[in-house]
This record gives sequence, C-alpha cells and structure tokens, in this order.
Amino acid sequence: MTNAIEIERLHYRIGKAFEIPALDLHVPSGSIYGFLGPNGSGKTTTIRLILGLLQPVSGRITVLGRPMPAQYARILGQIGYVPEQPHLDATMTVRELIDFQAAFYPRWDRARAAELVERFELDAARLFGRLSKGQKAKLMILLALAQCGELLVLDEPTDGLDPVVRRDILSALLTYVSERGATIFISSHLVHELERVCDWVAVMDNGRLITESPMEKLKHGTKRLVVTGAPAEIGNPPFQLLTRESSNGAGEHWVVGNWEPEMTTYLENLGASVRDVIDLDLEEGFVELLRGFRAKGRVVRV
Amino acid sequence: MSGMFRAVLYAQWKWSRLIVVLGTVAGFAMPLLSLQGAARPDRGALQAQELLRAVQSWGSVYPLLAAALGLLIAIAAWAADHRGRHIHALTLPLPRWQYVGLRFGAGLALLAAPIAAVLIGALLGTVMATLPPGLQAYPIALTVRFALAVFVAYSVFFAVSAGTARTAGIILGAIAVVVLVQVIASVANLEWDLLGALQVVLLQGPGPLAVFTGRWMLIDV
Repeated sequence: MTNAIEIERLHYRIGKAFEIPALDLHVPSGSIYGFLGPNGSGKTTTIRLILGLLQPVSGRITVLGRPMPAQYARILGQIGYVPEQPHLDATMTVRELIDFQAAFYPRWDRARAAELVERFELDAARLFGRLSKGQKAKLMILLALAQCGELLVLDEPTDGLDPVVRRDILSALLTYVSERGATIFISSHLVHELERVCDWVAVMDNGRLITESPMEKLKHGTKRLVVTGAPAEIGNPPFQLLTRESSNGAGEHWVVGNWEPEMTTYLENLGASVRDVIDLDLEEGFVELLRGFRAKGRVVRV
Repeated sequence: MSGMFRAVLYAQWKWSRLIVVLGTVAGFAMPLLSLQGAARPDRGALQAQELLRAVQSWGSVYPLLAAALGLLIAIAAWAADHRGRHIHALTLPLPRWQYVGLRFGAGLALLAAPIAAVLIGALLGTVMATLPPGLQAYPIALTVRFALAVFVAYSVFFAVSAGTARTAGIILGAIAVVVLVQVIASVANLEWDLLGALQVVLLQGPGPLAVFTGRWMLIDV
C-alpha cells in the first residue's frame, strides 16, 4: 500500500512556545484518515507543514510521492484544502470565488461545481462575507472538491456547524471518495464524527503523536478492564497498559490498548483475575489515550 | 497563465475600481485644467509668463497623483490576502514568485487607465490651446514622466505592503532612527545633515525617487 502522505522524523519549532520534536505519520492512499487531538496539540501546524506553508527544521515530508515543500506548486495542484477559518475574500461573490479558483486548477470540474452549488443551496450572487457559517463551510468544501485533487486536507471543516450542515458536508466528501478513490486527511476534535467516516486515525497531543492505527483496531483494541489481585508491578504485558487506577476495594480499573480476549490468561498467570472487559467507544478511548500519554509521555502502538 | 491573470485582474479591479475611476478622471482633467484660458488666441509675451506659471503650479499635482495612485493600488492589491492571512494565496498551485508577479502585473494594468487618461487629457488640452510664440507642448514627455512616477510609487508601496506588520515596523523604525540621530546631532551642535543627505540620495538624480522632483511642465519653452 502506498502512502498519500509520509512524514518522517519531522522537527518543527516556533519560538520557545511550541515544538513538534519528531513526528512520523503515514496516511495510506485511498483512506479517510482522522487526525485527532485537543486544541493546541499541533494539528493545524502539522497540516500547514504538509501543505508547505511552514518550513520544518528537519525531517522529510512526502505528499503524493513528491517532496514537500520542495515541489509545493506541483503538489498543491492535486490537493483540495479547507482551512480551519474561512480564508476567502469577503467582498467576492460565490460565483466570483468559483471562477477565481477555476482559473488556477487545470482539472477544475465545472459540472461538479455547478452541481454542488445546487446541492448545497448556495446563492451564487451572494457575497462570501454575507454567507452564514454553514454556507461558508459548504463553499470551501465545494472549492476543494471541484478542483478534483487526489488528496483532500480538511482542517476541522465541520467545527461549530449544525448537524444538518455537517451531514451534508460529510455526505459530499464520502461521495467524492467513492467516485474518485481520493485520500482524505481530516483533522477534528469531534471524535464521534470521525468515528463514523474514518478508516485510519491518529491522535496528537502537545506536538507529539500518541498513536496511529486503523480505526477498527483502535476501537476494538482499547478496553477498560476490571482487575483484581494484580501485582503492583507487571513486566512486559502483551497489551498496552494506558492507565491503572484502584477503585475502592472493588479491584482496579485498567485501560488497555491492543487487547485480545486470550490475554486474560496472561493476567491469570500473574495471580490476577479479569472480572469485566468493557468496550470503549472512540471518544473514551481518545480520552484514555491522552490521559495515559500525559501520565507516561510515551507513544502508544496500538 | 492568461486565465490566472484575468482572474487576479478581475479581483483587483473589484477591490480598487473606485481608486482607478477617480484617478482616471483626475488624470484626464488635470492637463485640461492646467491649460484653462490658454485657448484664447490673443496672448502676448506677458501672457506666456502667466501661462507658464499656471502650468508650473499644476505641475506639482502630477507627482502627488502618481504617488497616491501607486500607494492606493498597491495597498488594494494585498489587502484581501492580508485579511485572509495569505492562506488562500499560499495554497494556490503556482510558484509564489509567479503569484506576486500576477498581483503586481494586475495592479500595473489597472494603472494604465489613469496614465492613458493623462495622455489623452494632455493631447486634447494642447490641441485645443493656442500657445503663445516660443512655447511648446510636451504631452508625451509629461505622460512618460507620470507613468514612470506611477511605476516607481507603485513598485515601492507594493513591496512594502507585501510585507507583514513587522516589515512595516522595521521600515518605520529605520526612519525614526534617522530622525532621532538628526535631532540628537542638532542638540549636540554636530554639523550632521542626515535628512538633507538622505534627500539628496533619494530625490536628486540619479536617485530612485528623482522622477517625482523637478519641473512637470505640459507647456514649456
């Protein structure tokens, strides 16, 4: 499987306030890759590095097989980008912005743009500055989709939008992926939303990648265990122990990653017993991953 | 590339059309107004002096118009990009120098209208005027000079306004340092004339801003 985006040992620093010390990221081609992280974790900075808007201190970024930022102009012709904040000129109308964008992209799909204007119920004569937040988001998605890129990079595209608009946007994205086999790299802190659409997920915190894995593996491998009789120290367990908390004499609550049912045997051999295995949804898993990472400062391989 | 240029030109026209229209009207009107009264055929030697004085006094308005047009069109060229923090421009699929070139070229294309208006106004004014003996009309020379001044002003302000607030701060800081040093030198009775020297370097030939100084005469001997 080839990767649409590959980042290796990326180091970026802005003053003393924020640093990405050594980031490795692999976004498989054709995937919908969710990029999760709390506010200020470095998601937008990473996206700007991927787009060549920022210059890394060291490391390697390859996008669609080409080095970034060395070949940024060529690569950007194949990327549809939706930034976190609306960045278009407020004094231009919807039609003017579409025409402006069309002039820069040789593969611009006029039919798709017209279809999306209708589907999103956008008034082509309306100024961008007069559009509602949802309409602005729809227009930016339209511009990203009509340029027919192989990769869509979306920075919190549905943040702050109502559920109807969110559904419209996600539906348009899924249609695009199914038609073109494109890759989507989507950052968000709306965990449930990513859970529905993504097949890969990465979690970032404070400039560091906590985990990167297929969505199913992350969802099904992260469990909360109720354990009794476990020794204080355990050696090298076959699972990832994210957090361990005692629970008022009723045993301990462990949150583990990479869990398989047969691993209960390992704990039983230590004299412990597993009284319950509770499934965590992605949001709970995300929170526990963050807690575990912040407690130990260690990358989790799920 | 022509499609891109048209798109950028249209956007810049939309942002700066009021400036272009007003500049064009002013450019057309100024030569005509400066020759007001010169259409009378009864002018003698004394009237020629009078006419030259009138033309000379109007001459100071041309560099001001050129500087104002250059400044305003340059600011308008970058205003939308500054508002969007340049994200849109930086994610367009073309080398950044080309994007800057498109913006610069579109601004120049828009400035062609007031320059053409000066030429038409100057030609029309000199054709309609009856010049006293010994005086000549220089509509082409005046227009070329106006075009050069517009180009210089636009280029300088385009470069400055392309930068960040930090860049503007550095430029203003440098000017402030020169003024401060001059003030300190004056207080200390040192015979330094930094501002005068700067003026000579910038405004006297072959200084970069020399085109703004001197005589801007539509009619001269």
